[in-house]
Amino acid sequence: MEIVHNIAQRRLRNTLTISGIVIGILALTLTGAMAEHFRAQFEGGVRYYSSNIQVSDDAGGNAGVISLGKIDPIQKVPGVALALPSIGLMAKPGSAGGVPLGLPDTIVYTDPRERDHTRLKTAIAYGRQLQPNRQGEVVLGYDLASEFRVRVGDSLDLPIRPRNANPDFVNHPFKVVGILKKTNTFPDATASVGLFDAQMLLQESLPASFRDRVDPSSLASRITVYGKPGVDLDKLADRINAKVPGVTATRPTDFVNTFDQGARFTAIAIGTALLAILFGAVLVVNTMLAAVIERSLEIALKVTFGARPWQVGVEYLLEATIIALIGGVIGFALGAGLAALLDLAGRTVNMDVFLITDRLAKIVLGFAVALGVGAGIIPALRAAKLDPDLALRAM
Amino acid sequence: MAAIEVRDLTRKYRQGEANMVKALDGVTLSVGAGEFVSMVGRSGSGKTTFLHCVGLLLRPTSGQVIIDGIDTTALTDRERADFRGHRIGFVFRDQNLLPSLTALQNVMLPLRYGRIGRGGRKRARELLDLAGLGDHMHQRPGQLTAGQSQRVAIARALIKAPTLVLADEPTGEVDNETSDELLFLMQQLNRTSGVTFIIATHDVDVATCMDRMIRLSDGQVRADERLRAARSRLTSRR
Repeated sequence: MEIVHNIAQRRLRNTLTISGIVIGILALTLTGAMAEHFRAQFEGGVRYYSSNIQVSDDAGGNAGVISLGKIDPIQKVPGVALALPSIGLMAKPGSAGGVPLGLPDTIVYTDPRERDHTRLKTAIAYGRQLQPNRQGEVVLGYDLASEFRVRVGDSLDLPIRPRNANPDFVNHPFKVVGILKKTNTFPDATASVGLFDAQMLLQESLPASFRDRVDPSSLASRITVYGKPGVDLDKLADRINAKVPGVTATRPTDFVNTFDQGARFTAIAIGTALLAILFGAVLVVNTMLAAVIERSLEIALKVTFGARPWQVGVEYLLEATIIALIGGVIGFALGAGLAALLDLAGRTVNMDVFLITDRLAKIVLGFAVALGVGAGIIPALRAAKLDPDLALRAM
Repeated sequence: MAAIEVRDLTRKYRQGEANMVKALDGVTLSVGAGEFVSMVGRSGSGKTTFLHCVGLLLRPTSGQVIIDGIDTTALTDRERADFRGHRIGFVFRDQNLLPSLTALQNVMLPLRYGRIGRGGRKRARELLDLAGLGDHMHQRPGQLTAGQSQRVAIARALIKAPTLVLADEPTGEVDNETSDELLFLMQQLNRTSGVTFIIATHDVDVATCMDRMIRLSDGQVRADERLRAARSRLTSRR
C-alpha cells in the first residue's frame, strides 16, 4: 500500500517512466507475437516435413508435376511404408509477390491415409471432412475461410480469379463442406479438395503447350513417402534417389533446415525490441535513483527503527519492480490489442502475422519483472548503503 | 545499574582532505534507568553526534557505549540494528512522519522491522490515545499540526516498548505552548513507563524542565546538574 502510494505521489515522473516501459514492452509484445506466429508456422513445417520424404520429378522440380507411375517403384524401395500423391498449387495465382508475411493460400490434395502417418494433425472445426470420390467440395483452413468470409455451405470459386486474369483463366465453384480448426501453421491457409479436382486444377495451371498432352489422372505435384517404423528417413531418401531414376527425394533434415532460417528473423526482431526495453530500464533506474535521494530521510528513519540495509534495499527493489510490472501489464495489453487489430485489418489480404500465446505473456511479463529487478538493483544498493547519520543531520 | 554508561566517547569527522574534527571528545557519563535527562548545548556542540552514537546510528571513533549492560560498540552491524530496533526509540526535530501513511500506520511502522509481537495495532491505538490523538489516528501527516505530528512521533518511538528514547530537538519547530505540551507528554510517559529519556536541545528553558541537565560544548561535558524543582515547574504549567 505504501509503495502504491509512493508511486502515486510522484505521478508525473512515474507516469513518464511507466510510459517508457509501456513503449518497450509494446514493441516486445508485437515482435514477440510475430515471432510466435512464425515459430508456430516453422514448427508446423518441421513437424510435417520431418515425418516424411518429399519426392519430386527431376525435370519439373518442386513447382512442377510428377507422374503417379513413379509411386510403384518408390513403394518397392526397402523401408518405404507408404508412397502417396500430393498436390499443391497457388489458390491465388499471380499474387505471391503481394504476400510478404503470411503463408500463401494453397489448394492442396492430401491422401486421407496420410492422417495416420503425419505428425501434423488437423481437426474439423465446422462441417465435415472430404468424402472420397466426391467432386466440387472443399475443406478450408481457418485463415482462408476468414479471409474470404465463407462458412460451411457457402460456395467459393477456386483458384481465386486474379485482378488482371488472362482471357483463358478458368476457375470452378466449390462447396465448402468443412472448416479446419486453427493450427497456426500452413493448414490454416489451405483449401483441401479431392484428388480428381486437384488433378484437374493442376492440369489447368500448366502451360498451354504442355496442358493438353498430359493425362490429368496420372498427375501429382509430389509424392509423399512415409518410412516404416525405425527407418532413418534421410538414408531412405538416399536409397530412393539411388534406386528410382528420374526423381529427387529430399532428405527431411534438409527441408527442416530451411525452416530453421526463420529463427534468425525472430532473433533480429526480438533484439530490436530489447533495445526499446533498455530505454525503459534506464528510465526506471533514473526514477528510482531520484526517489532514493528524495526519500533519504525516510530511509534513515527506517534504519533507526531497526531496518537492516537489505530490508530497505528490498523495499526499493519492490517499488522498481512494481513500476516495471505496471508498465509491463499495460504494454502487453496494448500490444496484444494492437496485434489483434492489425490481424483483423490484415486478414482480408492474408496478413495474419501475430500470435499472442500464454508463453509470450509469461515471457513478456517475466521480462518486465526482470527489468524492474535489474533496474532497481543500483538504487536499492544505494538506499541500503545510505548513511542514516548524515541523512538525519540534513533534515 | 545505570541504563547507559558512556566511557571516554570520541567521535572524529574528516573535514576536507587532512583535517579531522572531534565532534565528541572523551565524553564520559552515565544515565540511570528511568531518568529524564536533557543534553543542552549550542549548535555544533556534539549533541546530535552523542545521540547518534548512543542510538547506534554512528560508530564512535573510540570509547564505549554500554546500554543495559551490553557493550554496544562490540556488536556487529546486524546486532546493532536489532538492538536499536527493540531497545531504542527516536524522536527527531520535524518532518519525521512518512506522508504516505496515516498517524496509526506511522506509529506501527517500526513493527515492520524485526520480530513483531501480537497486539501491535492495539498498542499503537493506546499510545495515540495517550498522546491525545485518539480522533486523528487515520489522518495523514499533512492533515496534522506540527505539535500533533510530534506527538505521533513520540508514540511511534514507544511502540516497541524501548528502554531508552533519544529525542533530538523535539520541540525545535513548535511554539512555546506546544513545546510545553510535548515535554509534559514525554514526562508523563517517562513517569508511567519508566523509559529513560535523553532530550537534546539548544533551549536552556526547555532543558530546565527536566530532572537533569548535561551541558555539552566542543564535544565535551562541561556541566552535569540535577534539577529537582524542574518537574514541578513543568507540571504546574499544565
